Formats: sequence, structure tokens, C-alpha cells
Amino acid sequence: MVRSKASSKKQQKKGIDFKKIKRKLGRKLPPPKNATNTEIKSKAIVLPEQSVATNKEGLAVSKKGLTLKELLQQTSHHNAKVRRDALMGIKDLVINHPAELRHHRYAVIEKLRERISDDDKVVREALYQLFKSEIFPGCAEDNQGLFISLLMNYIFNAMTNLAIDIRLMAFKFFDLVVQYYPPCFSLYAEKILQSYEDILRKNQFYLEDKGKLKTTLSGLVRCLSLLPSKKPESEKCVSGDRIIHAFEPDTPTANTGFSTIIKKLKELVLVLINCFQDFIPLLNSMPQLDVLSFDCILSMLQSIDIAVRFFIYGIHEETPESICDQTLSSALSKKLLGVFPLYPKHHLSVKEDDRYFILNVVIAAIFLHLRELVCPSTNVFEKFLEFIENALLGTICSSSRSGKATWEKHIPLLLPFIPKLASELETGWQSRILESFTRTFKDCNPESSLKLACLSMIEEMLIPRGYMHFSKASDTVVLDYQTVWIRELPLLLSLLGDKQPSSSQVVLCLLLRLGQFSGSNPFLFGEYENIQFTLSEFYSTCQEGNLYYGPFMRLPRDCQELSICCLYYFSNLNVLLLKSVTFCCLCSELEPFIFFRIIEVLHAAYKAGHIQIADHISFFMTLLSRFKILPENICPVRESDVKVSNHGTFKSLTTMLSSYLSQIGDSSVVFHIVEKAILGLILLQPPLENACAMLRVLIVLDSKPTRLSEQSIIALSNFLPGYLMDVVHCIPEDDVQTWRYYILPCFFMFDRSSKLLKLVLDVIGSFLTDSNLSLPSDTSTRYATDSLSRINATISLLLLIYKDVKVQKIISSFRTEIGSILQSIASLQSSEVKMTLEERHRFQSSVLEKTFSPCEDGGEQPRGRSSFGGNIEKIQGLANSGGNCLSQILQNCNGIFEREKGVQEFVHYITLLEHHVK
Amino acid sequence: MNVVIASSSIDGGIGCWDLQTGAEQLRYKTCVSPPHGLASIGCRFLACSQLRDPSATSGHVLYWSWSKPQALVKSFPAEPIKPLAANTEGSYIVGGGSSGDIYFWEVATGRLLKKWHAHYRAVTCLVFSEDDSLLISGSEDGCVRVWSLFMIFDDVRQQQASHLYEYSFTEHTLRVTDIVMGYGGGNAVIVSASEDRTCKVWSLSRGRLLRNVLFPSIIDAITIDPGEHVFYAGSRDGKIYIAALNAESSPTNNYGLHIIGSLTDQSKPVTCLAYSAEGNLLLSGSEDGMIRVWDVKTKNIIRMFRRSKGPVNNILIVKLPYSLSRAESKVQASSRRHEISLQPPLEKYANSSDEDLDNKAIITLPDMIDLPSYLSSQLINDHIKQLQQQGSSAAAEMEVKRLKHDGQRSMEMFQQLKKVYDNLQEFCVNELLNGQPMEGSKGN
Repeated sequence: MVRSKASSKKQQKKGIDFKKIKRKLGRKLPPPKNATNTEIKSKAIVLPEQSVATNKEGLAVSKKGLTLKELLQQTSHHNAKVRRDALMGIKDLVINHPAELRHHRYAVIEKLRERISDDDKVVREALYQLFKSEIFPGCAEDNQGLFISLLMNYIFNAMTNLAIDIRLMAFKFFDLVVQYYPPCFSLYAEKILQSYEDILRKNQFYLEDKGKLKTTLSGLVRCLSLLPSKKPESEKCVSGDRIIHAFEPDTPTANTGFSTIIKKLKELVLVLINCFQDFIPLLNSMPQLDVLSFDCILSMLQSIDIAVRFFIYGIHEETPESICDQTLSSALSKKLLGVFPLYPKHHLSVKEDDRYFILNVVIAAIFLHLRELVCPSTNVFEKFLEFIENALLGTICSSSRSGKATWEKHIPLLLPFIPKLASELETGWQSRILESFTRTFKDCNPESSLKLACLSMIEEMLIPRGYMHFSKASDTVVLDYQTVWIRELPLLLSLLGDKQPSSSQVVLCLLLRLGQFSGSNPFLFGEYENIQFTLSEFYSTCQEGNLYYGPFMRLPRDCQELSICCLYYFSNLNVLLLKSVTFCCLCSELEPFIFFRIIEVLHAAYKAGHIQIADHISFFMTLLSRFKILPENICPVRESDVKVSNHGTFKSLTTMLSSYLSQIGDSSVVFHIVEKAILGLILLQPPLENACAMLRVLIVLDSKPTRLSEQSIIALSNFLPGYLMDVVHCIPEDDVQTWRYYILPCFFMFDRSSKLLKLVLDVIGSFLTDSNLSLPSDTSTRYATDSLSRINATISLLLLIYKDVKVQKIISSFRTEIGSILQSIASLQSSEVKMTLEERHRFQSSVLEKTFSPCEDGGEQPRGRSSFGGNIEKIQGLANSGGNCLSQILQNCNGIFEREKGVQEFVHYITLLEHHVK
Repeated sequence: MNVVIASSSIDGGIGCWDLQTGAEQLRYKTCVSPPHGLASIGCRFLACSQLRDPSATSGHVLYWSWSKPQALVKSFPAEPIKPLAANTEGSYIVGGGSSGDIYFWEVATGRLLKKWHAHYRAVTCLVFSEDDSLLISGSEDGCVRVWSLFMIFDDVRQQQASHLYEYSFTEHTLRVTDIVMGYGGGNAVIVSASEDRTCKVWSLSRGRLLRNVLFPSIIDAITIDPGEHVFYAGSRDGKIYIAALNAESSPTNNYGLHIIGSLTDQSKPVTCLAYSAEGNLLLSGSEDGMIRVWDVKTKNIIRMFRRSKGPVNNILIVKLPYSLSRAESKVQASSRRHEISLQPPLEKYANSSDEDLDNKAIITLPDMIDLPSYLSSQLINDHIKQLQQQGSSAAAEMEVKRLKHDGQRSMEMFQQLKKVYDNLQEFCVNELLNGQPMEGSKGN
């Protein structure tokens, strides 16, 4: 209809030149009431896709199909809605195409920064969100300095804008920038502080809009916390560094230009104090302290606190005294410290109490920082001391759970001052403060951060850094509390258990430092020694025969290492502690690494004279004799999985201990001590592995000829036969490596004392007499109990002895003993009473197999021949006595001898036999 | 001539061998040294602290000259001294006491110039920096501290500072067993070994930990190669591990991070190491009393020295002055002995305060190689005094004596000449008297 109207107008115009057509004038009829409005309105429809000129095929577009360029153009559109939409569009586009932002980040920033001082609140908010969620995270790794400098001018511009909202928003932006690029504060510090000062001076606004004030102040707190302080956290070592003299990139050093801002900062503090003062009447008038005003006040106080700390401890040229001149100190003491303590006018809620408590804690902290500069009157000082005492005792805070939490969270703020207070105050207050501190330390939850804070304070008070000492080091008051703290430490360790390894680590570190330091202080020295009794529970306790492992076993490895290191510093390690550590060592769950570490450290402690030699040796002996080897018996080792077996550990333990023992001192003296101990243990019939280990230690310390005493030779001669037979019985003969490991120590002993060999042979011989065989449960052997296996073992043992060249030489002088052994074997054969036929057959064949198998390898070699000759002799002996089973022997012999090369000897043997039979 | 010097914790004297030829030199008698207790004082003579019963309240320090096997000078410090170190010129000796104190003596006078409380527990090793301005000490409490000698002798700065040390590294948990220092003065790295099975590399310029190397066993000795490429660590399991400093190390290897390889031959623990830049030799002393010389390139042993018995616990490589290495004539030997016997023993306590005020050092130009260039002013004063005395009374006396002697000699000479003259005259007179009548008679 619109168009038709237009056309009619045209017609009218045309009609001027022509004859006027008369029309009927008059009122039009009103449309009928039921007429339908057929008018159609339409707007122009923009269809960008259809445009040929802007074909966006392959370009990154937003949901609305706009490219980045178009969107950026639209951000400066005069319509606020369009601008906001454009920002949304950019966000949308960046999410879907992150590469787009990377390529055009400078262009984007250059365009967007204009919007920082946008008039429209919604646009600013959208921009803020865009920066926060996309742009800053997206450009984090780039050259941020340039990036930020592009922004900063606009932010500063906005900070001086007339509209208060824009200014506040600018602070919010700046806060965001600082979060992503902290050095930017140091670059623009002076300007920023000026801006903060300006805005805080406008005191009418903050009383109205506390929410905005709160965000501004929190930004200020964040900025100020970037001020450099003298105590930088010690850089943790980067052990992963590949190169030692590596190039280190220059980061903008944080402390450039901070000395110049002191004046500005001082003005800012004055403004903040005024601000705070303005709030006080408000507090009194208000029925209760609401969250917002609380947050504002807290932020103010925190800012003051940080600034004061910077004045005093910060890195700058000026001395704290020159900064805190008359104006500042008087303002601080009058307006801030004068109103202390803040307390609620109307006791309404518990929560409010806590809030006031927090504020008071911060004020107290500020005061304690300033104490030396302000020189408070005794009255004021005592007011604060009283507050500190009560705060530490927890009497101010509400007893509700939230109150407790608040207390735990904020008390650490006061703790750093305790050491200084304690060292400077006079006795009365000193003991009150220390008492309350100790109560705090004892009462707080072991796993809380408060406990950790207390621990670090205790460390400071126990171990002076540099030359800071307690002025009255011998002061009994301090000593009393030090005693309490030290005694608390082991208890704390057991309390912590394995619940929080990090806390345990802190305690152990403190213990270690204490140990290292204790050498120079006689009092601490004694106290540290006394810890041992309680500390032993940390390792293990033994009650009524039951063994309970302490937290040590369950802690991670670094904690275990630390606790082991603590052992080194006890100047006289007592037996109780050593025992409990030993129990831990013997536990099969202990890692081998830690196990060896314990031995290593204890040996180092011994070397430093911290362990008595008797204790040390008995520690070693206990390990050797009671170390449990898994799986229990030797035989099935190779079949079962090797993982559970700790044979390797035990073997290296043996070598380790023997080398340590040989280092202890004069070997003959050590040998005498060890000899006694080992013989006592060996007679208790330990498992084979342990016995072997002890024998090995013994031979390492012994020399040739042996230093063994007469008695011990006799004792050994009673033990060794059983041991040897067990070894032979348990280890399969083809496992040469293993049996060598077990038998070699005995061979060494035989080599060094032929008397021992003689006695051993005698005992073996006596085993084989009838009377002994009839006792099935003879105690001298563990495995080879029945007579058959015992005879078997004897034979293989003799053969093993013959195989070894050295021992063979010695044994050649003991023919009579060997002969008697063979005799008894033979006589056993002859006595048919106890053996069934089958048994005997088995026995004989095994005897023969064993006798002749070693000869198979070398008929040509003289050694083989000689042993063969020896065998012949033995067989001859057998044959001499056991004539009645000769036929069977011969039968077996044939089988064996056919494989032999020494035919001549065989022939000789046959003739001998024949001769005998005849 | 480079000689290898080794001492032991069991008395067997100090062994001395020529590194090139392997020939054994003089053996210096009666020495029971603790680890790090042996020091060569400016290559002029040997000093060694002595190990005694741990409960003893005093120890002693012995001096040997190169030419005599017996100890010449015996000093009795206030407490047992274990580690001993001297600066390159040999003008000062530093000793670490068992209470954690460090003693600083002047060799020429034996005066105790300074004593300060350095550690909470016994000092275990002491090392001077290349330029002798820094002293690094390790202790039983696991602490490694760096001391600047300028600070130690600067009373004013001491009062201002909160602590004496430049750095205190407390990361070790157990006794520090050895410390070596790299090259480069103030920018050097320090490597410290400890019983906690680690070696730690520290930066002197930045004062922080650069690297932590965990070994399979306790390291008792370390030495650094001249290129600062790697360091060698002798361990209690008998191996000498090679750990990377600037060398590349692959993250996966047998022993652990930063450990490149090992030198192995022995099962006995390695107790001390020394590196000889000449010929790139590594010397290791072991618990079994052997000193092995390794070629580090091929990792082979090229020579072994055997001490009589007992574990070796100190090895030094000392470049003997040329004159000493030659067979000395008797005159030289006697003069040298004279010089050594002049070294006064180390004093037990610091002198009274008024003398200490005079504690300034005088630096002379290094025109004479023999003399140390840093001397305390008192020593110089003494020298001057001596010279002056010689110039006045003593010299005059000598002169008078000499003149008297001369006079006497001249008198004797005169007498003799007179006698001769008399004889001659007599002879002539006789001759004349006898001859004339003869002549006369003849003529007559």
C-alpha cells in the first residue's frame, strides 16, 4: 500500500500541467468496523550472504556471519546495543577461531582499548568479560610488555574520566591487567597510586556504593602485594636444568623504581587512614557490620598493612625512620591505633564478633610492625599485648565452628612477631605471651596450616639465624617453653601419622635442624637427646611381645629419609631407639633403599662416635640373624616368581655389613667381639641363609691361620655338619652358583683350620651310626632329617669337598676319618633291619651315580683322574664291607662305567673286586 | 717435579712418590691424619693435623720439611683440629676445630690472627678459593658456608651485618664430606658432597643451588676436571662416578640423573681423589691402602702406589720447587733446615687486644717469588726492626769484632814481616861482614 500511495502522488504532480480533474470532496467514510487492516509494513532486509562483493567463503565469521574486521568496525558504532553485540560477536568468533585472535591481536587491542572509557555500562561490562575470558588467556605467552603498554594509556585515561563509573571500571580493568601481567604495576606504580589516591579522596561516593569501593580496594591490595620485600621465597632448585651456566632471560626486575614511589605511597596511606576514620562513625551508627563494609574496611587495613611493611622491610634506599615521620606516625597512632580495639556496639550475632576479631588482628599486626617507629606508650602497648594474648588463647573469638575456622585462618598473621616479642619483653609479659603461644601450638589441629606456622616460629625461636640470640639465653622462662615445644614434636609426629606427609615432613625438618644445631647449645643438646624415648614410638613399639609399627613405615620416602637423618645427630643413640629402628629394618615391607640408607646412616653415626660399639655390632648381628628371607626355604626359589624374593637384598646386606665391620678398626679385636656374638647366634640354629651370612662375615674378618678360639672351633664343628648337609640336601646339585655361595665360607674355614675339618668329619661320621639315625628329629639338621637323605647328603657333601682343589688337598690328610665315614655308610647298607629292599636299591644307585658322575667330564685331566682314583678307593671301601650286595653294585657299576673313559681304572677296579670276592 | 703425597688415618707415615716415574721419595714419619688434614704450605713444607682420641681436648699440628722424615715443628692448638688448608702462597693456615670454630694463623709468625664460630658442629672440610679471598667450609651439621676474608677482618662491617658468612647453604641433611671449587673466582661453582648420598652444585655469584645429583652410595671425595666439564665422585661402593657439570647427560642411564658413567676397579670404598692437570690423570685413594692413577680418557689404571697399611685418606699433588727436587748439596740442605726450624709453632690463643689493633695487612709487590705477598703489619714491623737492629747495635758490634780481628791479623802480619825483615837484615849483615873479609882476603 505504501508504494501505491507514492504513485498516486506522482500522478498528482503530473496533473498540474493538465486539466484539473475535479474530485469529489468530503469526508471519507470511516472504515467499517469489521474491516481488516490489510496494510503491510516492511523494513529493508540485509542479506550479507547474498552480496557478491563480500564473499566470506573460508573466512572466520561469527554466528551472525560477520568477520573480525566488520565486528571491530561495529565496536565504534554509535548505538550502544550494536557495540555490545559486536563485542559479543568477537567473543563468539574468538572462541570458535582462536587463530584469528593470535594473528590480529594488536589490531584487536588497538580497536578495543577505545571502549575502555565507553559511556555505556553494558558495553564496558561486555568488554571486561571479553578481556577476562578470551583475550588475556589467549595472549598469555606473547610479548606481553608491548601488549600491555598499548592498553595502559587508555586505562589511565579512563581512570581520570569524569564519570565515576568509568573510573571504577578502569580500576577493574587494571586489576585484570595486573593479574595477568604483574610487572606492569612496577612500571606504572607512581601513576597508579596517584589514581587510587584520587579516587579514594572522593569520600562521598564510597559511603554510597560500597560494592564498587570494595572491588577498587581489592585491586589496590593486589597491587600493593606486588611491592618487593626483603624476604623473597627461596627459589626452589631446578634440578632438571640441563646446563649449569645457562642463559637466564631478563625479566623486568621487580624493584626498579620503587624507591621513588615512597612519597606517593605515604600519601596514599594517609588517605586510606582518613577513609578508615570516615567509616568508624558509620560503624557505630549502623545496627550491625554488614559484609560489604566489613570487606571495605578489611581491604583498607590490609593495604595499610602492606604499605607499612614495605616502608619497614622493603627494598629501597630510605630508612624506615625517615619514612615514618611525624605526620604519618601521628596519623597512624591517633586515627588507626587509637580506635583499637574495635568492638561491636550491639551484641547481635556471633558472626559479627568474628569480623571484628579479624579487623583487630590486622590492626594489631600493623601496630607490631610499627612498634619500634611509633614508640607507643606503655598503656597502648599493654592493650595490644593483652589483645595478642587473648587472641592466641582464642578467648575473643566465638566458639562456634566458623569462629574456630576464622581464628585458625587469621592467627598466623600475629605469629611472626612472637619470636621478637618474646626476646624483647620483660619476664612477666614474656611468659604470658609464650604461654599463650604454647597453648595455641598445642591446641590447634595438627593438620592445620596454623600448626605449620607455629612450627616455623618455633624453629625461629629455637635456632637463631645469624646473630639474633635471645638476650637472656639462660633465661629459665624461655628454656621452659623450649623444652615443652621440643617434647611436643615427637608426639606431633605420632599424632600426624601418615595422614598428612607434608606436615610430617615439616616436623622432621625441624627435628633435623634442631639436631644439627644442638651441638652448640648444651641445653638443647640435652633436650634433643631426651627426644629419643618418645621418638622411638615413631618407628615401632613393642608391647607385651606384640610389635606395632609407627607412622615411619607408612610415610613416603623423603620423609623416611629425613627421619633417618635425624638419627645421626643424637650424640648417644640409646638402645630403645636403636631397637625400634631395627624392628623397622626387619620388616619385610620396608623398601630396600630405605633399609640400606638406615644402615649407612647408623654406620656414619657410629663413625662419628654417636653409637656405642657394642650396640652397633649387636645391631648388625640382629640384622644378620633375624632378617626374614622370603620365600622361606631355598629350594623353590627359582621356580616361584623372583619378585617377592629378597635374596638379593640380603646378599648385598651381607657384603655391606662385612665391609663395614672390617672398617671398624683393628680387625683382630673386632673379630673377637663378632666371633662371640656370631657363635652365640649360630647355635640357635638360624635359617640357612642367615647362618651363611654370619659365616661369611666371620671369614671376612678372619685371617689365615684362623683366629677362632678353641671353644668356637668346637662349637662350629657341632654346627657345620648339620648346616652343610642341609645345604647339600636343599640345593639341587646342578645349581653350582648357589651351593658355592653357601658352602664356600665353610671351605674357607677348613682351609684356615684343619682341626675344624677333622672335627666336622668326625661329627659327620657319628651321624651315620645307627643310634643317631634312629632319632628322626635330630636337632642338628633342619631339612635332611630322615636317614636316607642324610646319607645321600653325606655322600654329595664328600664329593663336593673332593671337587674343590684346595680342600681336597687338606682332606687328603684325613683319610682315616673319611674311611670311617664310608665304613659307616657301608655298614648301614649291610644292616638290613631298617631298610626295605627297595629303599636300599635306591640308595645304592644314588651313591654310585653320585660317586661317578664327576668323573665323566675329564678322564684325561689329571685332576679328574685323581678324584676318580679317590672314588675307586671309596668304592673299594664299600665293597670291602658290603660284600653281600656286591652283585647289585656291580650291576649299577656296569651302567656307569660304560660311559667312562678311564677304562683302565675300571678294569683295575673290577680285578680288585673280584679278588675281594674270592 | 710433581709428587704425590698421601697420608692415612693409621700411622704409616706420609708416602711420597714421583708422579711421572713412580719412584718413591722420602717417607715422612709418624702421621695420623684425619680426612682433609694434610696441606702443603706454599710448596715449602708440609703440615698435617693429627688425629687423636676423640675425647681429647687438644690436638696438634705437625710440620715436615721436604728434606727430613722427622716432624720438625709441633703446635698445640686449643682444640682438636681436623681439616687444614693453606692459601696458595702459604702465608696463612686455616684449621677447622671440632667445636665448629675456624682458626686463622699466620705461618711466618705462628700468630692466631682470627678465630670465629663458624658452624654448630665440627668443621669437616676447608677450601680456599682460587684468589684466596674466599674460604668455604663444610660441617658435620650439613652446612656449607662461604666466608669472605675481607669480611672476617673487617670489624666495622661485621658489626653492621647480621652474619659473618656470605652464604650459608643448608640443603644437605647430613655431614658434608668434601667440597671442591671450580674456576672463575666469584662466578665459580662449588660442588659439595655429603653423607646424604648427594652432591650439590652451588653458584657463588647467585648464592643458590644449581644442581642436585643423587648417587647410589655415599660420596666421600670429589674433584673437578680443569675444563669444568664433569666432576668425579669417589663413593663408598668403590666406584668413581662421573657426573656432568656442563657436559650433556642423557636422562636415561644406569646410575641416575646427571651421572654419565663410572670408573671401577675396586670393591673397597674410595676415600680421596686428586686431579693432575698434567697428563689428565685422576688419582684415587682407597680404603685398601692403594693409590690408583687413572687415565681419564681411556678410563684405565696406569699406575698404582701402595702405602704400607691402612686406608689412604688424603692425597695431594704438589709441585716441588726445582731446587728441592735436585739432590741438594749439604750447604743448601743445612740452610733449608735452618729456614724451616725458624717457622714458629702455631699459637693457641689470640694475642692480647692492644696488639690486635695492629692487625692490618701489608701487600708487597710480587717481585720476589719466594716471599708471600700478604703479610701482617706486625710481621713487617718485626722484619724492619730486625734490619734496624742489624744496622745499629748488632752490625756495629760485628763490625768492631771484624775490625778487631783485622787489626789483630795485621799486627800478626806486621810482626811476621818484621821478623822476616830482621832475618834478612841479619843475613845481609852477616853476609856483608863475612864476605868482606873474604873479599878482602882474596883481594888481599
